[in-house]
Amino acid sequence: MGKEMLTGNGAAAWGVRLAEVDYIPAYPITPQTEIIETIAKWISDGAMDASFVTMDSEHSMVTAAGAASATGVRTFTATSSQGLLYGFEMIYTVAGWRVPLVMVNVSRGLSSPITLGPDHNDILAIRDSGFLQIHCETCQEVFDSILMAYKLAEDERVLLPVIVNMDGFYLSFTREPVEIPDVETVRSFLPEYQPEHAFFKPAQPMAQGVAVLGGEFYSYFKYQMHLASKNALEVYKEVCGDFEQKFGRKYRAIEEYMLEDAEYVLVMTNSFSTLGKAAVKRAREKGLKAGLLRLRVLRPFPDPDIKNALKGKRAVAVIDQNISVGKGGIIYSEMAGCLYNEINRPLLLSFIGGLGGKNISPEEFEFIFDKMTTAEDTGIVETPHLLYTENEWKEMAGLKEIAGKG
Amino acid sequence: MLRLRFHGRGGQGAKVASRVLGTAAFLDGYNVQDFPLYGAEKRGAPITAFTRISRENIMERGVISDPDIVIVIDETLLSDPKAMPLSGLKKGGVVFVNTPQSPLETQERYSITDHVITLDLTKIGLDMIGKPVLSSLAAAVASRIAGIGEDALRDALEKELSGIISDRGILEKNAEAALYCYDAVVPVQMKTTEAIREGENVINIPFETARVSSPAINATGNTPLRRTGNWRVFRPIWDYDLCTRCMTCVARCPEGCIQVNEDGYPYADYENCKGCLICARECPVKAINDVREMHSQSEEGEL
Repeated sequence: MGKEMLTGNGAAAWGVRLAEVDYIPAYPITPQTEIIETIAKWISDGAMDASFVTMDSEHSMVTAAGAASATGVRTFTATSSQGLLYGFEMIYTVAGWRVPLVMVNVSRGLSSPITLGPDHNDILAIRDSGFLQIHCETCQEVFDSILMAYKLAEDERVLLPVIVNMDGFYLSFTREPVEIPDVETVRSFLPEYQPEHAFFKPAQPMAQGVAVLGGEFYSYFKYQMHLASKNALEVYKEVCGDFEQKFGRKYRAIEEYMLEDAEYVLVMTNSFSTLGKAAVKRAREKGLKAGLLRLRVLRPFPDPDIKNALKGKRAVAVIDQNISVGKGGIIYSEMAGCLYNEINRPLLLSFIGGLGGKNISPEEFEFIFDKMTTAEDTGIVETPHLLYTENEWKEMAGLKEIAGKG
Repeated sequence: MLRLRFHGRGGQGAKVASRVLGTAAFLDGYNVQDFPLYGAEKRGAPITAFTRISRENIMERGVISDPDIVIVIDETLLSDPKAMPLSGLKKGGVVFVNTPQSPLETQERYSITDHVITLDLTKIGLDMIGKPVLSSLAAAVASRIAGIGEDALRDALEKELSGIISDRGILEKNAEAALYCYDAVVPVQMKTTEAIREGENVINIPFETARVSSPAINATGNTPLRRTGNWRVFRPIWDYDLCTRCMTCVARCPEGCIQVNEDGYPYADYENCKGCLICARECPVKAINDVREMHSQSEEGEL
């Protein structure tokens, strides 16, 4: 098919179509709806052979998706923000069933105040559920990640659901050229799913998702999920190798941008990484040895790759597009945990930026690089800094005035 | 890199225009990114859409704050303090305005010092397509100004519109009208200089009490201050010789914009009437006519 101009949502729908998914339970929510609308239209037009059911809520939707996945059919669903939280109970439950469901989350800030722009408190809320997480920077990556997600989830060494994340608006509604391979090539990468542990066959009845009473039993099942998730790091490498061979695009659990000789490193995720890369380029032009590490796989957390990539760096600034209220950046804490026992660990600075889709301006990136060099000189690392500009503060003052807060 | 920003109202076609241009540039061999921005969707509310066109990789995302080219699909947005279509336009940039007025008149009326191109897209849409459909026409104008080839535009129109217009006849009318607009615009040699950014100051924000910092509004409602009369393409006008004072239009107006005068005849609040023309369609004796609104010549245009 070659390259097409596609939104992130369109790219996700194409991934689902070419993965030849059998069943899609759906429930609409901005900015995700375009995915399920596109799939629904293809099914209605006969371009895609799958069952599509609109559910009464995300809670039912995730339940239906997990249950269908447990019968051995390839299943997909998608949601965003409040929808993901509404299905939250079943996210944990379905992960425990050990079924290879693939979902897309289109990131959107959480209420309150209710909003539409992206940040990652929604996807990170399900961080500990057992779902593997792949976070995307480009529309191409959304398409590619869905194919990779099924291959990863369906592997016997893993058998955990995978959620692919993209930013609302910045990817979901943004069109970029996306390479769409033909279905034969996709089949050679991702053949039909042959379930071995969870399927529906009248001749071979089984009960799934049973209750256990007693911590020794519960601990066993939970820790097995953890081990399976850790396995996914190795399996992911194989999947990436296979993917590169078939499609020519190379992925790793982390992306290293101008990182090799870098001394000052930004750590980012998702679509705002593009802005970070541009900032790194500008900093390099000014003579600062800057680089960027993008976390693509968030679960399992790629500790070995990160430790290796950040060895000997002077300072690392984590830009969290999320806020753990009362603590700070979620990924900062994860990075600190990852690096704490390293002998030559870099200084680790924390910034909160892009909440609700707020832009991160070139000056805000310069501010981060300044803070890194200053921290290196003084050895003092300040508490998390919210990236915010004077002009934005003035706009906020205007809004407060209109709201009668003066 | 060329950065284009489209300004229109929800339903006018700014998003589709940015996509047709994006696809045309893509077919012409460029790297492209296009992106619409609207809040909670609402017909008539100001929306923006963006297209980035580059020979190099595009290392930007999100809104374009320093466009080379601004396409104003709805003239009334030029006087809207929230839309501000000209903000950030680079020196040497180009402004296109959909208006019956000349570039000079438009420059004077809105105090624009940049290069202005005008064309009455609404009239062309009405004459050639039969509806005030503007997406393909605005895309054609933008393609011409951005230097995208006619063949690429033609293919892009086919590709983008065939997915949303099922009637082949209407699709062809769209393409015909678009190519007419493409030819009607005189290409400009554009030389923009990179905008000199006003450096942003990064600050620490202080604690404020919940009385200030909770998302609650303490002021009384201000929605009535937001006039919607300038959304109209057509103005409903009553013919009192035919009107039977049956009140159907009053009952059917979804905005409550039709009132009754002392003699019992209905009249519209033109400051807020959005021009949906449900009144005209519902009128049992066809006493309501629609007249094309010329905002640049009317006082409501100033609202």
